[in-house]
Amino acid sequence: MVILKRKGEAYTVPAGKRLEEALRELGILPETVLAIKDGGIVPLSHRLTEGEELELVDVISGG
Amino acid sequence: MKCSVCGGAAVIKLRHAGLRLCPEHLVARVEREVERAIRRFHMLAPQERTLVAVSGGKDSLALWHILAKHGYRADGLYIDLGIGGYSGRSREASEGFARAHGLSLQVISLKKELGATLDELVKLARGKTCSLCGTVKRYLMNRAAWEGGYQVLATGHNLDDEAATLLGNVLRWDEGYLARQYPVLPGEGKLVKKVKPLVFLSEREMAAYCLIQGIKYLYEDCPHAEGARSIALKGVLNELEDRYPGTKLSFLRGFLSLHERFRPPEPVELRDCPSCGMPTAADGPCRFCRLKERVSHGAPA
Repeated sequence: MVILKRKGEAYTVPAGKRLEEALRELGILPETVLAIKDGGIVPLSHRLTEGEELELVDVISGG
Repeated sequence: MKCSVCGGAAVIKLRHAGLRLCPEHLVARVEREVERAIRRFHMLAPQERTLVAVSGGKDSLALWHILAKHGYRADGLYIDLGIGGYSGRSREASEGFARAHGLSLQVISLKKELGATLDELVKLARGKTCSLCGTVKRYLMNRAAWEGGYQVLATGHNLDDEAATLLGNVLRWDEGYLARQYPVLPGEGKLVKKVKPLVFLSEREMAAYCLIQGIKYLYEDCPHAEGARSIALKGVLNELEDRYPGTKLSFLRGFLSLHERFRPPEPVELRDCPSCGMPTAADGPCRFCRLKERVSHGAPA
């Protein structure tokens, strides 16, 4: 399984999918977040691997 | 995924621009787009003194970073609005950035200038929080720029901000606001020239720029923004952009190409506020001074 963390919440998704597909299944528009791993940006085309943990940073600011 | 420029490993795909970019070329693109906007709209010259309004968020800190990196005389201005714990954290991000880059940051406290924090003001004055916030920020930013002798006031409004504002203005067919929505507003008297160099860069690009450049910005949104109309408008545009990449950019570019068709209904004559001396379209004191007066009496407006 893969863990995606966003705003303090953790989502578990199966490995093997591409990041963009996993985000869509979670109801997140892919271009509204950036995925971060080890301080670097993970592209939406990245295929998720078992045990991976990514942080999702929202890029849409409000106000 | 390969970088469209160098063939290296790309980290971001910009569908609206038809580009896949590695970190190095994403940084180059963002900085080039800022320079292009500055030149196209004659925003500022390197020798002009520019005040950058910073909030601690990604856009304003990235803008300040780019201007300083490219040799512009850019100082920062942070307005402490007194919004719960949020203002403290946004102030820390702004001061931390200034310290880390050896840049000069002026801090203004709304409590000191108005006699009330924004949280206190919304309880006293009529009007929506975002509207009141905009009023006091525009006043304080302009006054700080004017009193500090700056030729230009720069803000970090990006493509997403401008497209959402445009959609809001179009939905109301507000001709006055449409006429005033432009990447540059010329200075006049005590009104300092205002510029938006990030106007053609998306929020996604700006967030990526900050992460790549190691700019520590505040991820958190203003607590008052929850439920704000601007967020709803951005949501609609993001849905459209997802289905039809390039929607936001073509919407804004198309508007700018037609911009001269929009004129304010009547020319606005500005006078000096009898209380503070800053320009106002009102017959008496400016909106800021009226708010200040109400705060001093503690009476609902």
